Amino acid sequence: MHGQRYKVVPFEEILHARMSEGTMAVVKPEMKSYIWVQTADGSIQQVEEEVAMFCPMICREVLQTGMGSSKNYAISLPQRVNPATLGLILDYCRFHQLQGRSNKERKIFDEKFVRLDTEKLCELASAADSLQLRPLVDLTSRALARMIEGRTPEEVREIFNIPDDLTEEEKLEPLRNITDDPHIRLLNRLYARKRKELKEREQLKSIENEEERVDKRSVDDLLSFINGGDGDSKGVRAIKNKKKNRKRKDQLPRNSSSNNGNGDHKKNDTVDNVASPNKSSKFQDSEPVTFSPNLEFVEDDMDDELDPAMREEIDREVEDFARRLNSVWPKRIQESVSLGNERLVPMSVYGSGSLKRFNGFGKQQ
Amino acid sequence: MAHSFPEEVLEHVFSFVHTDKDRNSVSLVCKSWYEVERWSRRRIFIGNCYAASPGILIRRFPEVRSVEIKGKPHFADYNLVPEGWGGYVYPWIVAMARAYPWLEEIRLKRMVVSDEALELVSKSFKNFKVLAMSSCEGFTTDGLAAIASNCNCEFGGNEVKMVYFALSERNLRELDLQECDVDDQSGHWFCHFPDTFTSLVSLNIACIESDVSLPALERLVARCPNLRSLRLNRAVPLERLPNLLCRAPQLVEFGTGAYSAEIRADVFVSLTTAFSGCKYLKGLSGFWNVVPAYIPAVHTLCSGLTCLNLSYANIQTPDLGKLVSLCHNLQRLWVLDFIEDSGLDALAASCKDLRELRVFPSDPFGPEPNVSLTEQGLVSVSEGCPKLESVLYFCRQMSNAALTAIANNRPNLTRFRLCILEPRAPDYLTLEPLDVGFGAIVERCKDLRRLSLSGLLTDRVFQYIGTHGKKIEMLSIAFAGDSDLGLHHVLSGCESLKKLEIRDCPFGDKALLANAPKLETMRSLWMSSCQVSYGACKLLGQKMPRLNVEVIDERGPPTSRSESSFVEKLYIYRTVAGRRMDMPNFIWKIDEDAVFGLS
Repeated sequence: MHGQRYKVVPFEEILHARMSEGTMAVVKPEMKSYIWVQTADGSIQQVEEEVAMFCPMICREVLQTGMGSSKNYAISLPQRVNPATLGLILDYCRFHQLQGRSNKERKIFDEKFVRLDTEKLCELASAADSLQLRPLVDLTSRALARMIEGRTPEEVREIFNIPDDLTEEEKLEPLRNITDDPHIRLLNRLYARKRKELKEREQLKSIENEEERVDKRSVDDLLSFINGGDGDSKGVRAIKNKKKNRKRKDQLPRNSSSNNGNGDHKKNDTVDNVASPNKSSKFQDSEPVTFSPNLEFVEDDMDDELDPAMREEIDREVEDFARRLNSVWPKRIQESVSLGNERLVPMSVYGSGSLKRFNGFGKQQ
Repeated sequence: MAHSFPEEVLEHVFSFVHTDKDRNSVSLVCKSWYEVERWSRRRIFIGNCYAASPGILIRRFPEVRSVEIKGKPHFADYNLVPEGWGGYVYPWIVAMARAYPWLEEIRLKRMVVSDEALELVSKSFKNFKVLAMSSCEGFTTDGLAAIASNCNCEFGGNEVKMVYFALSERNLRELDLQECDVDDQSGHWFCHFPDTFTSLVSLNIACIESDVSLPALERLVARCPNLRSLRLNRAVPLERLPNLLCRAPQLVEFGTGAYSAEIRADVFVSLTTAFSGCKYLKGLSGFWNVVPAYIPAVHTLCSGLTCLNLSYANIQTPDLGKLVSLCHNLQRLWVLDFIEDSGLDALAASCKDLRELRVFPSDPFGPEPNVSLTEQGLVSVSEGCPKLESVLYFCRQMSNAALTAIANNRPNLTRFRLCILEPRAPDYLTLEPLDVGFGAIVERCKDLRRLSLSGLLTDRVFQYIGTHGKKIEMLSIAFAGDSDLGLHHVLSGCESLKKLEIRDCPFGDKALLANAPKLETMRSLWMSSCQVSYGACKLLGQKMPRLNVEVIDERGPPTSRSESSFVEKLYIYRTVAGRRMDMPNFIWKIDEDAVFGLS
C-alpha cells in the first residue's frame, strides 16, 4: 500500500482522517476512488466513491465514522437496500452527480428510469428513503402515485399485490351490479307479465269479437269444438304467444351492457325521424317506447341462481309489491295518460312565480 | 408490495394522490393503507352535509386543513326547497373549532350560516386563510364584521396552551361571498379590517347591497400587494374605479360595481387609462346598469380576457356583439339573452377558444320573446367553437334538428343544460317531442357528465339516456315523461348517476321501488310534484336503513292522508349519520319503525 500513488480526492477530511488513522483509500490506476459497502444479505462490494457519496446516508457514514475504506470496514447499508436495488440506485447517482447535465437530460433519464415493475419500484422507493436520497424518493413516489390514480381499489390491490383485509362492513358493502339485482329482475318480470296480460286481454277481446262475428258453424261442429276436438282455440293462442315470447327472449342480449341491438334500432329510428318527420309516433300512443332488453320477459331459469330461502323471501316481497301495484295500476295508467293531455297554465320550467333572486338560474359557479 | 414498505414512504406516495376519488380508492385497498390515508388527508369534500356528521368526519380524518361542505339540494335555487329545510353549518364549526385548530379553509355552498358561526370561525383557527361561501344565507353584516376584525391577529404569550404559537399569525387570504343572501345591517363591517391586514388575495362582496366605505376600500386595496381578485358590489360608483384600479394593477380578476355615471369625457379617459393599466386582467364581471357610452373603456382589456361574466349586464346588441368579438381568447362567457343570435354568430366567429357558454333569460316570465334569441345561436356556437364543452342555454324554442346538429358538431360536450322556458314545448318545426334531439346529444357526447332536459319529452328520451348516458353524474328533469318506465330507464341505465332531480313528472312508486338499491349508490334524489305515494316512501324507508327518506309536505302529517296519496316533495339521500335531528315540522322522516321525526 505504501508504494502506491494516489490522487488527492475532493474530500480533504477523509484524507486527513484516513492518513491519521493509518489507512488509505484504495486507488485504482484510473485515479478513481472506491468505497466498500455491505448489503443486508452479507455481500460486500466496491462502489465508485463520487457516485456513492451522492447518497446522504453513505456520505454521512464516510465523513463521521471513516468507514468504507476497506473490505473489513465496509459500510453497512440499511436492510432495505439489496444488491439489485443498490445497482439501480448507483445508476441513478452516477447519472445525476455529473454537473454538466441539462434539466431536460435529467428529466428524460428520470422518466426512463422509473419504467420498472411495481415491485421493483416499491423496493427502490423504500431503499432510496433509507439512504435519504430525497430526489429519488420523490421520483419513485410520483411514479407509484401515477399507478394508483384512476384505479379502483381492486385494481390497486392487484397491481401492488396486496391482500384485501377489509371486511364488507368496513367497506360499506360493494356496489352491486344493479341489473343483476334479483329484486329488479323479478320486478321486471312483473312489469313484463303485466304488459303481457294487458296485451293478451286485448287480443282475446279482438278474438272474441271475431268469433262472435263468424260463428255460423253447425251445432255438431260447435259441440265437437266445445268438447275439445281441436283443443281450446284461446288456449292455443295463449300458448303460442308464450312460445313467441320465449323465442324473442333468447335472441336478445341478456344484459344492458351490449345493447347493440337496441342501439341499431335507435339509429334507424333517428334516421327515420329525420327523413320523414311526419311519420313518427305521437307520444299519446299506448306503447310509444320499446322495452330495453332489461325489461324483456325473463324466464324461470333465472330462479335457479337463487337459493331457496332467498327466493322465498323475494317471492313474498314481489307478492307484496304486486298487491300494491295491482291496487293502483289501472288508476295510474289513466292518470299518466291524462296528465299528458292536460293543458297546464304556462309557467316557467325552472322557476316559480316568486323568484327570490334573479340569479336563481345557475349564475353561481 | 412487501409488508416492510415503510409508512413514511407510503404517506409520501399518497401526497401525490390528490383527487377525492383516488384518495377514496386508496383508503379501500387494505387496512394499513386506510390508516395511512386517513392521517394524511388534508382536504375534504362533503357533497351533502347530512350524509355524514361532524363527529364522523373528525374521528376519521384528524388532520384536515381544508373543508368543503354543501347543504341544500340544487333545486333550492329555483325556490323549491322551503325555508327552514336545514343545512346549518354551526354544528360543523363547533366541532371543527375543537378538533382542527389548524384548519385553513372553509368552503360552503347552499348552507345556512349564522353570525355565531362566523364569530366562531373568526376566533378559532390559528392559521385561517380562506372563507368562501356560495349561495349561503342566514348571516348579517355583523358576522362579517367579526371575520374582518379577526382576520389578522398575532397569538402571543397569553395563549397558555399553545405557547409555541407565539409567533403565529392568522392571515386571511380569501373572503368570497358568492351570491349570498346577507342581511345587510350596514356597510360599517368593512371598516373592521385592521390596518395590519395586508394578506388579502381575493375579495368578493358583489352580493352586498349596502355601501361600504370607499376610503376604507381604497386603503385596503392599496396595502394588499397580493390582491389578485376583487369583485365589488353594485354600490361602488363607476367614478371611483380608476382610483381602485390604479392601486391594484396586478389584478387578475375584477368585478365592477354599477357601470353607470353621467357621461363625462374625463371620467371616460381616466377609466380607460386605469383599465389599460391592468396588464394581467383575465376576468371581468359586474356591470350592473350599464351606460353604453362607457363600454369602450374596457376594449383594451378584451384581447387578454379569458372570462367574461355579463349575466347582470343590460348591454344590448350591437355593443354586446362588438365587445364579445374583441375577446379573441375568451374561454368562458356568461351573458344575458340580449346577445341574440347575431351576437352568438359573432362569438362563434371570433372566440375559437371558448369552453363554456351560459345564456340567461332577461325576461323569463314575459309571455312573448323580448329578444331575437333562438336555437340558431347555440347551433352557430357549436359549429364555430371547437372546444366548447359546457353549455347552459335558456331559450324559447328548440328543434330536434338543432339538437342533433349540436350533438354532431360538439361530441366533446361534458355539460349540457337546456332550459326551454315553456314547459313541454315541442319541436317548434315538427311539433314532435324532443326525444330524438336529446337522444342524439347523449349518444354522441360520450363524456357527458351533466344534463338538464326541457321541452316536450316522452319515456323514449329516458330510454336513450339510460342506454347512452353512462357517464352522466347529474341529471335534471322537469315536466317530462309518460310513466314510471322513464324513471326506470334512468335509474337502471345511468351507471355514474350521483344526483337526480325531478319535478312535475308522472314518475311514481314502481320505478323507485324497483331500483331502491341504486339510490344507495347516488348522493341524492329529489322528486317534487311527482306521483310517489306515501306508502312507497314508507316501504323505502323501512327497507333501506342507509338512506334517509325525507317527505317534505307542508299540508300536514302524511298519516292524515291515505297511503296512496302522493307526497308533495321527496328528498332521498344516502347517509352514514342516521336520521337528522334538525328537521322543521313540515319534513317527515321515514325510518325503520315507520315513525317519523318531528322537531
